[in-house]
Amino acid sequence: MFLEIITPEKKLFSGEVKLIKLPGAQGGFEILTKHAPIISTLVKGQIKVIDSADETSFIDISGGVIESQDDKIIVLAEAH
Amino acid sequence: MASLKEIRTRISSVKTTRQVTSAMKMVSAAKLKKAQDAIIHFRPYADKLHGIMQTLSSSLEDMEESVYTLQREPDNVLVVLVTSNRGLCGGFNSSISKIAIEMVEARYSRQLRQKKLSFLTVGKQGEKYLKARNYPVGEQANGLFEDLSYESVSVFAQKLMDDFTSGKYDRIELVYNEFKNAAVQFCRTEQFLPVEQESGNKSVGNQNFIFEPSMEEIVHELIPHSLKIQLFKAFLDSNAAEHGARMTAMHKATDNASELIKELTLTFNKARQTAITNEILEVTNGAEALNG
Repeated sequence: MFLEIITPEKKLFSGEVKLIKLPGAQGGFEILTKHAPIISTLVKGQIKVIDSADETSFIDISGGVIESQDDKIIVLAEAH
Repeated sequence: MASLKEIRTRISSVKTTRQVTSAMKMVSAAKLKKAQDAIIHFRPYADKLHGIMQTLSSSLEDMEESVYTLQREPDNVLVVLVTSNRGLCGGFNSSISKIAIEMVEARYSRQLRQKKLSFLTVGKQGEKYLKARNYPVGEQANGLFEDLSYESVSVFAQKLMDDFTSGKYDRIELVYNEFKNAAVQFCRTEQFLPVEQESGNKSVGNQNFIFEPSMEEIVHELIPHSLKIQLFKAFLDSNAAEHGARMTAMHKATDNASELIKELTLTFNKARQTAITNEILEVTNGAEALNG
């Protein structure tokens, strides 16, 4: 899956990932490959990303929105 | 031919002008760099948000429920004209003001005659331009550019949205310069409110999206957010375009001044040469007369 995390100031992340965990408005959820198309708002919290090299990274956000469709994920985040 | 002294004074005055314009060019170049970075980093965010909004509106059959998409007869129209606070930037302000007036005359001449159209200017130059031509400038928000931040624009956007929902205005148009590069700006006219619904979106319309927490809540949250982003992007664009236009204008002015100095120096040297030749002639003539 291809993930992009964008804030108004800059692009925080862009690349292939295996897993992404997000702080959704109704609780946290994870997205793996072939996830059904989803649009969700995000709340303050941490995004966990496992990239194709199995490296785990964490990104803090204070809110935003995510769209996932055909294994293309776009996270529009508001950084602090 | 002008006297030597006159030419010398002109050369020195043109040199001073060149110093000023080249300093202004430097300042604009520095400011442009900053403004350009801001808009270029912001654009992907705005574009992606617009994409999500499109996906959302295509999955939504009846967007009419939102207060911001309500299409009313455009009886009261507000035109937001984004210019700059300072001049000396070539045709930047006059061309965008001209476009705004053309747009108004073409599409809202009825409202203009009934005095139901008003302008809101962001930037003193636009205000001056419109007032000089007797167009109604209701409010101004010229201070926005002094400290351009998302927070201040967000407050301003909220005010516009409130004016729309309360029925003070039925349509809000946005006219601004879009930044292409330092030398090129595009004049943009956009309908800010009500939100226009994209019609040709069959490609994404058949996907069954999961919406969390719910479609209504997402719409309620995203539409105002997207409007604020749209407005902020317009301001960032205009800001970068202004500095670009000023830099180009000042660059041209500096070049022209250099050209002028070159010409004047040539004239000065010719005049000096003539004066010397005349003097020598007089001396030799005098000597000849004595010898004779």
